[in-house]
Amino acid sequence: MNERRSSIFDGVLGDNAVLSGLMVISPVIICGNTIKNAEALICAFSAITFLSVLIASFVPKKLPYTVKVIIYALISSIVYLPVKNAAEKFYPDSITRIGIYFPLLAVNSLIILQSEARFFKMKKPRMLASLTFYIIGFDAVMLLTAFIRELLAYGTIRSKMADVNTLISGLGEPFGGFILLGLMCGAYRKIRSIARKEKNTGSDLNVSGK
Amino acid sequence: MYLVNDIIAFLAANLILSQALGTSTLFIAADSRRKLVGTTCCITLFTTIGSAAAFLINKELPSGYKDLTLIFYVLTVGLLYVGLLTTAYFITPERFEKIRKYIHLSAFNCAVIGTLFTMEQKSADDPSLMTLKEYVKFGFEAGLGFITAALILTAAFRKLNSSKVPSSFRGGPAILIYLGIISMAVYSLK
Repeated sequence: MNERRSSIFDGVLGDNAVLSGLMVISPVIICGNTIKNAEALICAFSAITFLSVLIASFVPKKLPYTVKVIIYALISSIVYLPVKNAAEKFYPDSITRIGIYFPLLAVNSLIILQSEARFFKMKKPRMLASLTFYIIGFDAVMLLTAFIRELLAYGTIRSKMADVNTLISGLGEPFGGFILLGLMCGAYRKIRSIARKEKNTGSDLNVSGK
Repeated sequence: MYLVNDIIAFLAANLILSQALGTSTLFIAADSRRKLVGTTCCITLFTTIGSAAAFLINKELPSGYKDLTLIFYVLTVGLLYVGLLTTAYFITPERFEKIRKYIHLSAFNCAVIGTLFTMEQKSADDPSLMTLKEYVKFGFEAGLGFITAALILTAAFRKLNSSKVPSSFRGGPAILIYLGIISMAVYSLK
């Protein structure tokens, strides 16, 4: 029971798509510099990825890999159309700023590659739960990165002035995104290894206690 | 001097260092020389031929149907994907197993689709770029840019994966920071 739980929640902490798998990192690096951009990307990514993987799960598994990958990409590019229309109504300014990274969400590796390698090997309810947590994992990293970058680069939170004395304007640029994401990946790995060590130590103690 | 200017312009327009397109694929490409050659050649083929197709799509697609661009790009890359696999199978059947993994890796990624969208945006801003020659040139340059970024990363790949780097930062995190520093240098050239 415990193993099953941990593997479903992996997408958030144990095996985060961005921090562990280094997937879908270009929108985080380039567009994740303000919270408003991040919100627009999060909504679009969540809707496109969830619906695309759900629809793609009905594609016959017997088809050749190449054909399946092309069908997955086509499904997500069709799902992208209504999501784009909705996003233009709710986030008109952000969509313009995000530019080419918005359609690129439709060909992200979570849909194209991971769906075949990971999600479609699971049963549907478990797949949907796991997928949801992978999406939440991406959303959390996107939001955290955007919060840090907006605060430290522009001294604002959701475009409202915050009391920050020292600004690091480079954090708003792509190179700042690369460096911050690298540091976050390192910190994430460190925390994960400490947590796993503690878990192992705890289970060892239980065993010896018996 | 012209050459220096050209090199600076080429580096500044690099899709990986300035736009972070195809970074995940770059991590795999820089792993070994064989992977570097295989992946970068495939990506260059996809960006160059894909750009020629993107020119036709952007030219022929009515302005009221611009939202369908992504679907046509995906179809184009899909056809190229099948075409390259078939070509590789018939030209070098004995090497097909080795080559096909690079084609799989290169087909649907941000470096390829991102190149097509970047060129579409550029030609919309500057209509003089709306020619087949400019599209193909841009696609080829994007491929060369990927090769350049892969070579820059390959130079430090082993050190960034060595035991001298703290285990938490070894590999991916160190590579991201390294790319950030290179990207900062390129940014200063703009």
